[in-house]
Amino acid sequence: MDPELFLPKPRSRRQFLKMAASGAFGLGLSQMLSGCGWQLGNVRSGQSNTSSPNELFLYTWAQYVDEELLKDFRRVTGLRTIRELFDSNEKMMAALQAGKGQTFSVLYPSEYFIPKLIKANLLAELDHDRVQGLDNLMPQFRRSAGDWDNHYGVPFAWGTTGLIYNQEKIPEGIEDWDYLWKNKEKLTRKMTLLDDSREVLGCALKSLNYSLNEVNTDRLKKAYEKLTILKPHIASFTTDGWRTQLASGDLWVAMGYSSDAIGLLKENPKLRYVVPKPGASRWSDWMVIPKAAPNPNAAYQWINYLLKPDIAASVAQRLAVTTPNASAIPLLPQELQHNTVSYPTVEVMARCESMTALTDEAEKLYDKYWTQLTS
Amino acid sequence: MVISKANLSLRLKGIPQPVWQAWWTVLMFGFMYLPIAVLAFYSFNESAISAKWTGFSFKWYSRFFHDERILQALSDSLQVALGSVTIAAFFGTLMAVGLARYRFWGRDIYQNVVYLPLIIPDISIAVATLVFLAAMTVPLSLGTIVASHVVFCLAYVSLAVSTRINSLDSHLEEAAQDLGATPFESFRLVLLPQLYPAIISGCLLAFVCSMDDFLIASFTAGGGINTLPMEIYSRIRTNLTPDLNALSVVLIVTSSLGVLLAEFIRRQSQAKRSRV
Amino acid sequence: MASSPFSNSSKSWSQRLEPFLMLVPAGLWLFLLLILPTLLIFELSLVPGIKPGDLVNPSSLVNYFKIFEPSVLWVILRSIGLSIATTLFCLILGFPVAYWIALLAPKRWQNLLLLGFVLPLWTSSLLRTYAWISILRPTGVLNTLLMILHLPTVDVMNQLPAVLVGMTYSLLPYMVLILYSSLEKIDRRLLEAAADLGAPPKDVFVNITVPQALPGIAAGVLLVFINAIGDFVNPELLGGPSSMTAARLLYSRFLGASPDWGMGSALSALLIMLVTLVIVCLIKYGDKNARAI
Repeated sequence: MDPELFLPKPRSRRQFLKMAASGAFGLGLSQMLSGCGWQLGNVRSGQSNTSSPNELFLYTWAQYVDEELLKDFRRVTGLRTIRELFDSNEKMMAALQAGKGQTFSVLYPSEYFIPKLIKANLLAELDHDRVQGLDNLMPQFRRSAGDWDNHYGVPFAWGTTGLIYNQEKIPEGIEDWDYLWKNKEKLTRKMTLLDDSREVLGCALKSLNYSLNEVNTDRLKKAYEKLTILKPHIASFTTDGWRTQLASGDLWVAMGYSSDAIGLLKENPKLRYVVPKPGASRWSDWMVIPKAAPNPNAAYQWINYLLKPDIAASVAQRLAVTTPNASAIPLLPQELQHNTVSYPTVEVMARCESMTALTDEAEKLYDKYWTQLTS
Repeated sequence: MVISKANLSLRLKGIPQPVWQAWWTVLMFGFMYLPIAVLAFYSFNESAISAKWTGFSFKWYSRFFHDERILQALSDSLQVALGSVTIAAFFGTLMAVGLARYRFWGRDIYQNVVYLPLIIPDISIAVATLVFLAAMTVPLSLGTIVASHVVFCLAYVSLAVSTRINSLDSHLEEAAQDLGATPFESFRLVLLPQLYPAIISGCLLAFVCSMDDFLIASFTAGGGINTLPMEIYSRIRTNLTPDLNALSVVLIVTSSLGVLLAEFIRRQSQAKRSRV
Repeated sequence: MASSPFSNSSKSWSQRLEPFLMLVPAGLWLFLLLILPTLLIFELSLVPGIKPGDLVNPSSLVNYFKIFEPSVLWVILRSIGLSIATTLFCLILGFPVAYWIALLAPKRWQNLLLLGFVLPLWTSSLLRTYAWISILRPTGVLNTLLMILHLPTVDVMNQLPAVLVGMTYSLLPYMVLILYSSLEKIDRRLLEAAADLGAPPKDVFVNITVPQALPGIAAGVLLVFINAIGDFVNPELLGGPSSMTAARLLYSRFLGASPDWGMGSALSALLIMLVTLVIVCLIKYGDKNARAI
C-alpha cells in the first residue's frame, strides 16, 4: 500500500487543516456555512497514476466482452487487458466523475454521448498519425454527429434498438411499440425495458410518432406519462439482466439491442427480434481515449488492432455485433452478411433515427423524467 | 388441579417434549438452510437456466476454477480483507487497551465513535467516504477500500477485545509492574497473551465482514478493481450466473470450516481457562 | 541504575507518551474516515445540485425540500414500511426459535443450535440473495415445485413480497441471537416456581417471560429495523422498479444515471438522523445485549 495515498495533496492541505480544525471544534457547520467554498475534487487530467505500462484497462459494455480477443491481443502485443463493465452511458460518466476513471485507457461510449464527454473535458483528441486503418470504416462513420472525421473516437459496433420476444408465448408477433401498452396486463412482469434514459424515453417518443431527439417540453411530458402507465407492469429496467430470463421463460419480451439479439436468436430458435414501428434508434458505440488515460500507447495499439479488417471480422463473428468496418464485411460468413438483424433492410433502416446530443435544458428534462420513472 | 400442576412442572423441569416451539425451530432451520441447499443442489445441475433437474454435472466447478476473473476478484478481496484486518487488529487492540487503561476527557465520545460503523447504515458510510475521498482528491484504488474497511474492522476488533479486558483480572498486570516490568513489558507478556483469543475472534468477524462487504467497496474501489462481492453483484445484474452456484458452494464450505475451527479454538481456550 | 534520574525521566516520558501511541492512530483513522466524512455529508447536503468538480458553497436547504417531494417521500415511506414489516416478521418468526433454544432445549445443545442457526450469516449475503432469486423467479424452484404438486403458482419476484422475504431471511439470525441472549438470562426456576404455584402457561409467559425479555425484544427490534432501512442488496436485486427504497435511491444519486450528490447527501443525512433517533431509543430502552452484535 502506498502510504502517500492517505496524505492530502499539498494543494488541499490548507483546506484540509481548516476543515479538520472546524470539525474538531465541534461541528463547525456554521463556520463552514459562512466560510468560503472549497472544491469537490474531480479527476484531474494528466494525474500521476500507478498503473503498470503492461496493462490496459477498458471500460465497456457487457455484450462486448470477448475473452478470446483479449488473449489474442495479449499474444500479439504482450499487453494484459482488464475490462470493467457499465450498463449505461450516464452511469459510466457518473463513475468517471466519482473518481473511478484514472485507470481506464479506452472507453466505449455511444455516439450521441461523445459530445457530452468532450464538453466535460474528459476526452483526449486522437492523434491521427498514430491511428491506422480509418479508411476501412464505412463512410457514415467517418463523419458523425459531434465527432467529425473521428477527431475523438473510432466506431466499434453499431445496430438498432428493438424488442426481443419469445415466439412461443407471443405467437401473434410484435410489430409496434404500442403492443406493449395494449397487452400490458398479459405482459405484467414479463417484460423489461433498457436501463437507459434516452432509449426508454426514446421508445415512448417514437411510439407517439415524435423524434428520438425531441426537446419539446409538452411532447416529452406526454412520453413520460405514457411510460408511467407501463411502469407497474415491467419486471425491471435492465440492460443485460434479461438474457437468461428470456431463455428460461421468466420473461416474454425484452427491449434490447440488435447486437444482443443476433447471438441469442442463433442459440434459441424460439426468439424473434423486431425493430418496432413506427421507428426506433440506430446507435453506434465508439472507442475513445480519456484525457486521464494512464496508458495511451496501449490504447492506440488496441484501437489499431480492432481497425484491422480480419480482427474486426472475427470480433463481429464471435460477439455477433455489426461492424462499421467496411473492409471486414466481405470476410464474414455469408449467413452473417445476410442476417437482417445485423444488417437491416433498407425499409427498416428508413424508420430508424440516430440519437444526437441534447441541449442542456432538454437534458435536465430527460434526467428529471428518468429519475421520476425509476424511483 | 393437582395433576395439571404436576404436569406443568414436569414439562418445564424434565426432558423437553417436542412442543410446538421445537417444530417451529425445525421449520425455521429449514428456512435458513433452504437457499443454501438450493445453491448446492443446482451447482451440480447440467442446465444453467432451468429449475428442473436436467442431469448431473461437474462442469460448473471446472469452469469456476478456470474463471480468471473470479479468481482475480477473490485475490483482490483477500488482499483487502487481510490488509484491513491486520491494520485493525494492531490499532484496534492498542485502542481497546488504551480505552480500558486511561481515563480522559472525551473518552465516552471516543468509545461511542468506535462502534458507530456498526450502527450507521453501510450505504451512508460508503457515500460519506466517497465524498471525503473526492474532497481530498485522493485517487480511488485498492488502498482506499482497505482504508475504509479498517473503520468497521476496528469496531469488531475493539468490541471483542474490550469485552475480554473487562472480564480480566487487572491485578495481574499491576503485580507484573510491581515486580519490575515496564508497562510495555507487562502489556506484551501479561496482557497480550490473555487477549489473543479475543483478538482472533474479533479479526475473524472483521475478516468475514470485509469479505462480504459490497457497498463500501463498490463506492471506494478504483476503476479495474473488483472485489468478490462486486464481481458477484455484477454477474447477478448481467445474468452471467452459471458458475455462481459452484462459487457459493466453495465459499460456504470454506467459511463453515472457518467458523467451526474458530468455535473449536474458542472451546479449547475456554477449557484451558477453566482448568486454570 | 534503575533509580538514576535519566532512566526515571525517560520512563515517565514513555509513560506519558504511551496513551497517545495507543489511542491516537485508531482515533485519527476514525476521525479521518468516519467523522470528517460524515460532517462533509452534512455540509454537502446544503449545496444544491452539486457534481464532482463543482465548488462547494453551502447555501440552501433545497436538497432537503427535494426529499419532501411526493415521489421521494413515497420512497422513504416505503422504506420505513418495509423495515417495520421486516422487523415484525423477524420477531414473530424468531421469538419461538429463541425461546425454544434458550429455555426448552437441552442445555448442552444450546450453543450448537445457536451456532447452527446463525451459520448462514457467514456465507456471502449476495449469494444468499441470488439463491432467493433462483427460488422466487417465475420459473424458479418454488414455482416448479408448485407445478409438480399441481398447485397454483405464485408471482412475487420483482415486487415487495420478494424483498420482504429476502430481508427477513437476512436479518432473522440477528433477531434470534439477541432474543436468545436476553431469554437465556431468565431464571428457569422462576418459571418453574410460577408453574408450581398454579399459574397457567399463558400467564407465566405474559407476566414473567415477556417482561424479562422486553429489553432484548426492544434491542432486537431496533437493530433489525436499522439494518433493514439501510439494506441495499435485497431491494435492488429482488425488487423491481416499483420497490425503490431510500438506500437504492441513495446509491443511484451517487453512482446512477443522473448523479446529484447534494440531494444524495441530504438523503444520507436524513438516514443517519433517523438511525440516530432509533439508537437514542435503543440506549434508553434497550439493554447491553444490542452491543453484543
